[in-house]
Amino acid sequence: MNLLAYGEKAVRRALASGAQETEAFLAKGRCFVVEIERGQIARSSSMVDEGLGVRAVIGKAWGFAYTNKLTDEEVEKAALAALRAARAGKPDEAWKGFPASRKLPKAKGTYDEEVAGLPAEEAVNLASKMLRTAQSFDGRVLAVEGSVGVSLVEKAVVNSLGVHACDRGTRTECFLGAIAKEVGETTPLCFEFDAHCSLRINPEKVGEEAARLAVSALGAEDLETGSYTVVLGQSALLGIFYHSLIPSLKADNVQRGKSKLKGKIGVNIASELLTIHDDGLREGGLHTWSFDDEGHPSQRTTLIEKGVLKGYLYDSYTAGKEGVESTGNAWRSHPAPYAWTPIIEATNFTVTPSTISPERLLSEVKKGVFIPYVQGAHSSNPESGEFSVVAAPAWKIEEGQVGRPLKGVMLTGTIYELLRNISGLASNLRQLALLVAPWIRIEDARLVGRRGEEG
Amino acid sequence: MEDILLYAVHVGEKLGADFVEVRGQELHKTSVTTKDGKPEHIREGFEEGLGIRVLARGAWGFLSLRKTDRESIREAAEKAYKLALTSSREIKEPVKLAEVKPVRDRVVKKPKLSPTDVSLEQKAELALSIDRDIFSLVPQVKSCTVNYLDVVGVNYYFSSEGARIQQDSLHVWLRVYATASEGEVFASASEEVGSTKGFETFERQVLEKVSSRVSRRIREQLKAELPKGGVYPAVLGSNVVGVFIHEAFGHLAEADLALAGSVTLDKMGKRIASEATSIFDDGTLPGAFGSFRYDDEGVPAQRTPLVEKGVVVGLMHSRETAGRLGVQPTGNARAESFRFTPIIRMRNTYLAPGDQSLEELLEPIRFGYYLKTLRGGQANLDGTFQVGIQEGYKVIRGEVCEPVRNLSMSGHTLQTLLKIEAVGKDFQLWPGRCGKGQTAFICDGGPSIRVGEAQLGGRG
Repeated sequence: MNLLAYGEKAVRRALASGAQETEAFLAKGRCFVVEIERGQIARSSSMVDEGLGVRAVIGKAWGFAYTNKLTDEEVEKAALAALRAARAGKPDEAWKGFPASRKLPKAKGTYDEEVAGLPAEEAVNLASKMLRTAQSFDGRVLAVEGSVGVSLVEKAVVNSLGVHACDRGTRTECFLGAIAKEVGETTPLCFEFDAHCSLRINPEKVGEEAARLAVSALGAEDLETGSYTVVLGQSALLGIFYHSLIPSLKADNVQRGKSKLKGKIGVNIASELLTIHDDGLREGGLHTWSFDDEGHPSQRTTLIEKGVLKGYLYDSYTAGKEGVESTGNAWRSHPAPYAWTPIIEATNFTVTPSTISPERLLSEVKKGVFIPYVQGAHSSNPESGEFSVVAAPAWKIEEGQVGRPLKGVMLTGTIYELLRNISGLASNLRQLALLVAPWIRIEDARLVGRRGEEG
Repeated sequence: MEDILLYAVHVGEKLGADFVEVRGQELHKTSVTTKDGKPEHIREGFEEGLGIRVLARGAWGFLSLRKTDRESIREAAEKAYKLALTSSREIKEPVKLAEVKPVRDRVVKKPKLSPTDVSLEQKAELALSIDRDIFSLVPQVKSCTVNYLDVVGVNYYFSSEGARIQQDSLHVWLRVYATASEGEVFASASEEVGSTKGFETFERQVLEKVSSRVSRRIREQLKAELPKGGVYPAVLGSNVVGVFIHEAFGHLAEADLALAGSVTLDKMGKRIASEATSIFDDGTLPGAFGSFRYDDEGVPAQRTPLVEKGVVVGLMHSRETAGRLGVQPTGNARAESFRFTPIIRMRNTYLAPGDQSLEELLEPIRFGYYLKTLRGGQANLDGTFQVGIQEGYKVIRGEVCEPVRNLSMSGHTLQTLLKIEAVGKDFQLWPGRCGKGQTAFICDGGPSIRVGEAQLGGRG
């Protein structure tokens, strides 16, 4: 029986037992990962998973139950458990119902037959290429961890308002973390990645780049505390945006007084160089689906346009509270999405790039630091936007080029200062998890080093 | 379940695998989320599944699946075996497991009050009661989210070496996260309760302590100043010490990361801190959130000394890393669920207490900081760590003065350990969840300590 049929069954059962409204979310996944550990491939894992989560509403109170056993009996049991949970709840007057049925857009470039049918041996070949390239780059490099992963996911939503949706997608990704070791010195982990919906990943490039970064991190110096021009790479941007900017754009946080962006629609909050969309339909995007995890159509939402705040991210509940439309940002957590109730999450959080090459972005810097990764971004304050992260490793920008490596550098500030101080974006757009962005240059960033401020 | 597990082991053995293990799980979870006085989500779930891990020609193949019919199990075991062969193609250092005595045991949990005997209504009311306390204690509070979770289940471990373990599991957990604002200042505070005891964990005085801690932290942050970044002496409270020990030292003492190049392996048998410093990872503390009887390789949990009187004496091991280094496994191999392979995880990790009072720790500081509660932390293989601070104060001439906010501490683990000047006699364990690709329930903790130099990132 297919996912939709189980979904229909759950919805019928819940309605027949007294639910006023109900929804079933179903997911089925198959993934395969080859893992690199300490310079060798030593493990392959495969996961096959499927399940269903039911939401049932009685008198504006809703309950949820899930099972990973897709049988008639267990699906029925889950529907009844959801009703039991709804009866234990309290009515929420803000509840306006599940999304209604609408025409769904098509997700483009998100399913590749070749990925779906990739043999395990082929994934091991890709991992082995990546590993060999990294290790032949330089004798001081150790490929500490890495992986090549392939997955196929199918999702379905059925609800009592007529939503009846199904979509599937494939993903491939490769990742390598390397360190370089010399007598008395170990570099921080330097990593590179590549991920696509199709088989376009380039494991050799990833292996070489991780190794190159690790070697260039040897011989790190201390930095003098002060104000610098900083160029942030995609991984650093993901850490900072995910923990200090994206939370403030979520409608639930805005409505609950947890966002500094409350009441700022139409207000200039960033450099006019900055434009950000949440693009749930980005072609080939890693988070592109035809509909969100409660069956609302995916869409492209303007969040910041030329520095001006234009909108927030909504699911149907928070949209209902304000009488606006959902932006299609309901999302269920991994690895078993059917076991979770939806929360608001960005899809492909896309920063509009410029036409300036990364080299030119760097060449205009007099006294600066290039920061590809940050550590500790999850300890940021998502309400105030204040962050204080370690940039390990980081490199000096000297004479407009990436120069000597640095150690023990902390970047501190607030996301709002950072957004206002953007002085340039590069053209090198790429996706890392939910962020699609180019390198971004920031002026007057506060860096705390192990050497005190002079003068 | 037992005959299915045995069948999977037999299929793997017949194919010629060197080692086969099958883990089975039956789980029942309930969770409640309340937001600002309303039970937003009440959830219940049932899960069942298997993880089959096969070692052949020195490499691993792993497969997890939901279905428990014989046909699917046979296919899965065959596929796991094939995955192992495929992975072994270019193996240079074949995996060799440390030997252990195969255990046959049945571990039964008998909590005073099982979460399965508590109604969903009572669980929602527990969360709502904390919400009410927080809103009534601090008028500036804008939002309060309470998450409650219990997981009750049975875990099975069967291996081709003859291990036959059936082990009850029970976890209860609760987290409060409140935010407040006044003018342009935003404050937030969170606190967790977690145990492997029953629902009786949530007694009134425990909940009152949670509410009062969260409200105090919010009040202090609202009037806090922005600190100046730089290098200062500091007293770290038990909560910060816990996360420092866990993040900055503990991860580096996980044998997989040690073998991957973390700084600890070279330091085995060497002094890395003062005599006052002893660090343990203990899976046997009754009721603690990171405790269990057997790990997910069937190895009994133990109290593992990592640092004794300043000297590195051990690492945390799986059977694989113990085999590689020729030592005994320590019972640290854990898997989030049947969906994952076991990897080395901490249990309850702590710095042992010393003999100083808080006053004695603060006394020699002319100007510095008292870092009382954290927001989170992270460490890198090279020993660089970062800990965000939720509650911190200035210390002037040995006295705790004005609160500061948005502070974070970073540094190098080994340099910081060497700078531990004094260790307090207070002691507490803090429950939490640790992410290393998979989530594990853990505790970390210790006493308060004084460090001569801490690199602080602030904004002044």
